[in-house]
Amino acid sequence: MMRRNPISPQLLALLLLAVCPRLAAAQRVLLRADPATDTIPRRYGPNRAFYQHLYLGYTAVVGAADGPGATLSYPQSGELFAGLRNKWRVTGTTAAGLDARFAYLRYQLRQNSAKQVPTAQPHYRESLNLTQLQLEPFVRLSFGRRGNVVGHYLDVSGWGSWALSSNHSYEDRPGQGQGTRTLVREVRPAYLRRWSWGLGTRLGAGRYALVGRYRLADTFSNLAPAIYPELPRWLLGVEVGVF
Amino acid sequence: MWLGLLAGLPAAAQRPAPIVAPAARYWVTFRDKAGQTLQPAAYFDPAAQARRRRQHLPAADSTDFPVRPDYLARVRALTDSVTLVSRWFNAVACRATAAQAARMRLLPGVRSVEAWPERPLLPTGTPRLKASPLPAGPPAPLSPADLALAHRQTAVLGAAGFRQAGQQGQGLRIAVFDVGFRVTDTHPAFAHLHRRRAIAATYDFLRRTSDVYRGGTHGTEVLSCLAGQLPDSTFLGLAPAAEFLLARTEQQGRELYAEEEAWLAAAEWADRHGADIINSSLGYTDRRYFPEQMNGRTSLVARAAAMAVRKGMLVVNAAGNDGDDPTWRTVGTPADADSVLTVGGLDPDTFLHLPFSSYGPAAGGRLKPNVAAFGVAITAVPGGFERAEGTSFASPLVAGFAACAWQQQRDLPVMALFARLQQAGQLHPYFDYAHGYGLPQAAAFSAAGQPAVLPDPTFDFVAADSAVSVIIRPEAAVVPAYSLPLQAAAESLANLDPDAAGPPVPLYWQLRDASGFIIRYEVLEVSQRAILRVPLRELPTGGTLRVHFRGYTASFGGL
Repeated sequence: MMRRNPISPQLLALLLLAVCPRLAAAQRVLLRADPATDTIPRRYGPNRAFYQHLYLGYTAVVGAADGPGATLSYPQSGELFAGLRNKWRVTGTTAAGLDARFAYLRYQLRQNSAKQVPTAQPHYRESLNLTQLQLEPFVRLSFGRRGNVVGHYLDVSGWGSWALSSNHSYEDRPGQGQGTRTLVREVRPAYLRRWSWGLGTRLGAGRYALVGRYRLADTFSNLAPAIYPELPRWLLGVEVGVF
Repeated sequence: MWLGLLAGLPAAAQRPAPIVAPAARYWVTFRDKAGQTLQPAAYFDPAAQARRRRQHLPAADSTDFPVRPDYLARVRALTDSVTLVSRWFNAVACRATAAQAARMRLLPGVRSVEAWPERPLLPTGTPRLKASPLPAGPPAPLSPADLALAHRQTAVLGAAGFRQAGQQGQGLRIAVFDVGFRVTDTHPAFAHLHRRRAIAATYDFLRRTSDVYRGGTHGTEVLSCLAGQLPDSTFLGLAPAAEFLLARTEQQGRELYAEEEAWLAAAEWADRHGADIINSSLGYTDRRYFPEQMNGRTSLVARAAAMAVRKGMLVVNAAGNDGDDPTWRTVGTPADADSVLTVGGLDPDTFLHLPFSSYGPAAGGRLKPNVAAFGVAITAVPGGFERAEGTSFASPLVAGFAACAWQQQRDLPVMALFARLQQAGQLHPYFDYAHGYGLPQAAAFSAAGQPAVLPDPTFDFVAADSAVSVIIRPEAAVVPAYSLPLQAAAESLANLDPDAAGPPVPLYWQLRDASGFIIRYEVLEVSQRAILRVPLRELPTGGTLRVHFRGYTASFGGL
């Protein structure tokens, strides 16, 4: 219905409005909604075309070295990681993604008479540490019909990493000279590979997931003594999504 | 009586629970009901038969016929964990392995076998306090503000008018589906219901017992907004004289997961036991669906609700409490179904939309919510009464209103009642996606049969070259004063001019495109007569500017 009712006092009011537009602007808006924009289906969300979230977790080194000379302490040997996950939905049940993360991997070496890595010299405490930047593309298979939630899923991935830094650290007690302890850090030892790669899998429900990663690359480079056994290749742990 | 009720339940409900449940649940739909018949007089409660007669529905149709026993037997032979037999949908829900499901697909008469995952159905209420053990002694007294709210939550709907007309839901049966009705059997707020045996039937569709007075208290709170009574005799809802069917269809706490099929089973049960109105303060949202799937056709509960309406029952459902959740914001399901009366929440202080009350439109740009009522209400809880928030409580307030309205015009078909309830909205014919048609007013029903009186214009559009202004007429710009009566009747508040009784009247305006979809709407505080100026360039082609103020609605545009 259209209503037009030009009345002179109202025209006057209109003129006033035109001269002083702030008069209208002074009206307090008690409720405002724009369905034209706020009802547009979103493309971003846990089960939308694209989703991105932070995550963090811990995986323990599982298993023993591939030979004598490098017995590890558990669960101090493990990897702490935090990263950003990017996920693209392919179909209702499948998705692809790319993780980028920092991972701090520590192999805590048990001090015993058989120790050979990196030397036979015993210390009070000793570890090999790698701070890595990792990229991990993955494919996701989701289970069950769901709405805009992460739901239950199985991820299969391949990963590659570059060690931003690596070191061999040890602590002696008592320390040298008058010190109660001596801390030594050998930075970027040549026997540790900086590149690594492998396969991974995740079984998740919502923000929680069980994580398993298998390393295909060797820990030690060609410059390492042949006596060095390969360190355990499996990492198993948990991950929590931040969303 | 309970034996009779149990005998009336879906056959599967009487089977013992399986010892080992297979992993997956399936929904098996059959092709036909050939050879099946039904004796309506034997199957349906007399109240259900009367409802069908009143609404000129057949005494029974094929959707009421039982599922073919031979089809059922074949499914049971493959899996012994049939959890629901639905006459309405000629289907069963069952647990089966993938191999069993594959074999079921090959059975004669099986139309489809669909995976049917369990998902949570969450109550749409947000009680401010968690359920607590029953304290000893009398209930704590309500504060004066809460007592005032207890009175106003029904008064603003026109409780006094209904009461004076003797309309408090007499002769109607209202089914309430909820998470549990703990202490409903002992709470003094419901003593009057027990005295006159007004709770006609109860059933827990999860535990499969008739005891619904366990579990959560959400249902207790919802029921109190239909028929609860304060110690000073104030009724918290509009239908204290109705009869009730209480169905527990949802779990909470550790066992949060429940099934849409429980809602369907309860709807069939309510149909059989003569329910006129179903109040469901439950809703599915993002755990299973996307907002764009809120189209009234995707979820089983929406289809079940639509079927319930086809059987002559009015389904009233809370809009949901996701209005302030940017990832959802819209109504849940079954509130998304076209024929479900979806109720939004209003702030008792401003009579405006509460931020948490879910917004419309539903998928496809359909109007939701349909109407609104107070989303903050005084409810009965273990040990007393308290103020609770949620559209869960707006829904029973409107369900009670509908009961009174239906009592007045008992032969009204359900969808005619639906339309009348919308027309009774304070804003009608204006609506928006926050308030729907607004707060229903009993006066709209008491005036039934009288010639419609068009409201006097309260504003004018003044068009110029580049803008259109809305100017409130001087006679509508007077804020009425309220004079105290000599003696205040209990219902005096409801008899007042709503403008005087409520908060200052705001102005509602919206821009609609050529299809009628509201692309923008606002509510403005009125502090001057030159209230609104809209540049013409903002008016969509063929669209309109629509304004509502003090009961008068007018449009400008259509250019």
